[in-house]
Amino acid sequence: MLTLKNVTKTYRHSDGDVYALRDIDLTIGAGDFITVTGGSGSGKTTLLLCMAGLMRPTSGTITFGDRKIETATDKELSAYRSKHIGFVMQSFALIPYLTAIENVMLPLAVPGAGRTDQVSAATDLLQLVGLENRRNHLPRELSAGQQQRVAVARAMINEPSLILADEPTGNLDPALSGEIMQLFTEINKQRGVTIVMVTHSPAAAAYGNRNIRLAEGRILAGA
Amino acid sequence: MRKPSVKGLSVGRLIRIEFRQRRTQMISGLLAITLGIAVIVAIRSISLVSEKAVAINLDNLGANVLVLPQGATVDNYYTADIDAPTLPEEYAETIATSDLTGVDNMSPKLTRRVNVNGEKIVLTGILPKNELVSKPIWKRSGLFGKGLKASCGPSPLNESHGYKDEKLQRKSIEALAEYDCLVGATAAQKLHLKENSNLTIEGKSFRVEKVLPETGTVDDDRVFAHLHTVQRLLGIGSQVSAIEIMGCCNAITDGLLSKLRNILPDTRVTTIGQIVSTQVQTNKLMKKLSVVFLIIIVFVGAVSIGNSMWANVNERKKEIGTLRMIGFPKTSVYRMILTKAMVLGLAGGVLGYAIGSMAAMWLGPEFAGIEVSPTLMLLPASVALSTAVAAIGAAIPAYFAGRIEPFDNMQEN
Ligand SMILES: Nc1ncnc2c1ncn2[C@@H]1O[C@H](COP(=O)(O)OP(=O)(O)O)[C@@H](O)[C@H]1O
Ligand SMILES: [Mg+2]
Repeated sequence: MLTLKNVTKTYRHSDGDVYALRDIDLTIGAGDFITVTGGSGSGKTTLLLCMAGLMRPTSGTITFGDRKIETATDKELSAYRSKHIGFVMQSFALIPYLTAIENVMLPLAVPGAGRTDQVSAATDLLQLVGLENRRNHLPRELSAGQQQRVAVARAMINEPSLILADEPTGNLDPALSGEIMQLFTEINKQRGVTIVMVTHSPAAAAYGNRNIRLAEGRILAGA
Repeated sequence: MRKPSVKGLSVGRLIRIEFRQRRTQMISGLLAITLGIAVIVAIRSISLVSEKAVAINLDNLGANVLVLPQGATVDNYYTADIDAPTLPEEYAETIATSDLTGVDNMSPKLTRRVNVNGEKIVLTGILPKNELVSKPIWKRSGLFGKGLKASCGPSPLNESHGYKDEKLQRKSIEALAEYDCLVGATAAQKLHLKENSNLTIEGKSFRVEKVLPETGTVDDDRVFAHLHTVQRLLGIGSQVSAIEIMGCCNAITDGLLSKLRNILPDTRVTTIGQIVSTQVQTNKLMKKLSVVFLIIIVFVGAVSIGNSMWANVNERKKEIGTLRMIGFPKTSVYRMILTKAMVLGLAGGVLGYAIGSMAAMWLGPEFAGIEVSPTLMLLPASVALSTAVAAIGAAIPAYFAGRIEPFDNMQEN
């Protein structure tokens, strides 16, 4: 589904270039639940950004199906994210003045996302994450675990084939982490959505069916 | 919390919700442009009306030569301040008894702002018979006469203005008794006067002889009484503010003006043409003033809207990053910022027009001595200007908003 070949990313810095990714070769198959682990600064986030088309690699190629990601225009990349990708972030990235259900519907407000049954689709997903009775709450009126569940519902609303999650349990205690990981497992198993999840936590990493370890921008083991 | 009825999201609704969220920020961005538009609208409203009023006035004056006191401005002639300079009434006789040729008619006038039934109204003292012949406008129908043209005698003017019932007109003014008065249409409305009503001018009781038909000139706001009554009432002696003269155009080119100047010391003898050119200069000045304000508004308005949008973009960096992440293209973010700015501009244009028009209605009579009504024509112009200025101001913040990348959300650890 998603293939990375020889992907290298360097950040320009006054002290010299920083290698965030070096020669990454990686193929992600449909239905995979991949966990990415590694120390801080090992390049995990950079890897997700490149997969999402939010950052261009310095060299190498990334293809989604038969689509070239690394050379696509902003418009094409936006459409790619809007149609195929769901995101879950460590900090939830909810819009503070939108209610839970509005946050869930937000990806459908993207021009061209075109789905008319926004409210019922979002209601179904809030049900899936167990928040149907909180749909008119603002993020600040929800606990951290509830906010992250709203974010998971938002990641699902565009019926993506790939969910990219960057330390989704990083701000949650172990019990809440477990709930979120249950959700991911369910989404992966029952809905067949491919998941790539960056995590620090070995407990969270155990939920995946394949692990990739990064160190200094290289893949160490697993792939 | 907003009410629980849930609607689907669109870019437009997203903008509306965000607007509500940051009301004060948006209103502060609106202030400068609203004030700027208000100033322009006020200036333009007053000057448009004043241009029209003076043009109509001169057109309808029925006179083409004015004798004014030395040092008086044409403004004095219209605004009738309490201390406006005067000239002796006997000058009218001097003209009449001189061997000057080409003076078809004349009308000495005394004009003063006075208290009538508690309202500030301009009272004009006239000599009935004379006033009549050189002033055919009270029976005019249309608002705009022909262009200004010095005509020879009242007859062609009368014709061109459709003035027919001269006898009736003459009779009504000849009948103007010591304590009778004529009331302009607007003044009558303001003071709730009808024919035969009584009114008190500076403590004396007058009877309304007649309410004059509307002329579209300053005369509509005025009350007319017998010159000598007015002089006595105001304790001004035998003085007048001006003598309007209907001169024959040939005579004017033959040096009527300089002859008048010779026999009337300490006066300013001027033709309508000169007044018009004075007015044209004033109008030019007003236009320049408008242009100056226009430039200021474009700068200040654009900077203020730009500043407000800049603050908006800055504090929303994270949100914008999120929008980009979930698939909003750069152009969409760019458009959202521009739309917001243009909505502000639109609101600023409408508000500015409303405030400016109200200011003009209030300031016009106070400072320029003319009634100003809102000029609807200025509304689309204000809105267009304000929206364009807002768009210009927001261009840079919008550009930067489009460039915001969602890294903030992701590279936080
Ligand atoms: N915008 C940036 N500019 C310069 N260096 C960066 C930038 N973002 C990340 N880096 C560097 O790239 C490396 C990888 O970063 P990142 O992908 O965020 O790692 P991780 O998510 O595994 O902690 C780190 O050494 C980091 O310091
Ligand atoms: Mg990271």
